Amino acid sequence: MSAADDQPGSGPELSGDERQAAEYAMGLLESEALLATRGRIAREPAFAGLVAQWEKRLVPMLDDVEGLAPPPELWSRIASDIEDGAGESEVVSLHRRVVLWQRVAAGSAVAAVAALALLLVPLVQAPGPAPAQESAPLVASIPIADTPLRIGVTYIPGREELLVAAEGLSADGVHDHELWLRPPGEDAQVQSLGIIAPGTQKRVPLERETARSMHEGAQILLSQEPIGGAPDKSAPGPVVAEGTLLKT
Amino acid sequence: MIPSSPEAREALEAAMLRMAKGDRAALEDVYRLTSVKLFGICLRILQDRKEAEDALQDVYITLWRNADRYDGTRASPIAWLATFARNRAVDRLRSGKVRRGAVSVDEAADLSDDRPAADTMLIDAEREARVHTCLETLDEKQRTPIRNAFLNGRTYAELAEQAGVPLGTMKSWIRRGLHRLRECVERGE
Repeated sequence: MSAADDQPGSGPELSGDERQAAEYAMGLLESEALLATRGRIAREPAFAGLVAQWEKRLVPMLDDVEGLAPPPELWSRIASDIEDGAGESEVVSLHRRVVLWQRVAAGSAVAAVAALALLLVPLVQAPGPAPAQESAPLVASIPIADTPLRIGVTYIPGREELLVAAEGLSADGVHDHELWLRPPGEDAQVQSLGIIAPGTQKRVPLERETARSMHEGAQILLSQEPIGGAPDKSAPGPVVAEGTLLKT
Repeated sequence: MIPSSPEAREALEAAMLRMAKGDRAALEDVYRLTSVKLFGICLRILQDRKEAEDALQDVYITLWRNADRYDGTRASPIAWLATFARNRAVDRLRSGKVRRGAVSVDEAADLSDDRPAADTMLIDAEREARVHTCLETLDEKQRTPIRNAFLNGRTYAELAEQAGVPLGTMKSWIRRGLHRLRECVERGE
């Protein structure tokens, strides 16, 4: 780098957690760095707070973007999509999902949210679990890099189990591989779907709450873990493959 | 409705709280109050009307399904929604499914400026937010890529190419710019 190149950059660079938080808020992170940062946001409240601070600092820049009316039919599309979808099943696990913007709120605000959550849950769950058994199965096909192998994940809506096909795989004796669900939503909490049993096709029981998060568009991640699986069930190890749940 | 009036903000806050309790009519109110702003943001990032429409649809459906994520005690629901919409649009852009050419900042501005709506709700009603003043204190070579990353969803690699500098230089400019921006904003907080 020449001295001239360096001219606009006199002064210290942002570094460490501040840099990671700022680059996330700016949208500058990609692929592995992005995944790793989302993982930190999900499990490190202090770091999530830094990201939220940066988002607050930067968001007024969006006032420089002129608004534009969307086409009138867009609202109908949204309304009909909501009518179709079992919206109730997605309003789950409020207490577990301590998210970005809530984290920087004062303690009293968090308490208020929790109180609201208590009111909200029975309210939205009142219709009871949707009779979703007739819905189309959701399937994710997860290609294993540099091999012709795939892991197949099938979920029948309404059930509390998952079918995981890992026939082509063999154990390496050093690692286990674990499946994770990442529901749609940029900072949705990942949930463990359990360790893969290589060379088998298995039914895997799901926690009720996890089953309710199985939706079209949710991502299924495959991570490499120490034998026995991830020590911290809110934090996957390195993600080595991923797929998306799609309707068949 | 008067843009950014306290009444509009109050209406939005009330609608968000009703929405969080599962009131579908409230979602329509939120949409009516915010879709112009959020569509502008999605279009600015995605540079394609169809993509921006899909992104906007995705934003409101996700909002409805995750209504619990809204913390009613926050000061500014429009800031929260704008951040949410921008992040979803950037996610969509990064998913690799969106085709987008190299559009200059000016072109990008033209595309979203062609029919400005009068009732856009401003995030920073008084335009007093420190970030505006602080951006002005940065060197142009820091300010332009920072704006271009945030408002147009550009990556480091794209910004370096646009400016004709090595990737490391661009990262350095932006990281120094962000450092100065933080110092400046915090002095005013």
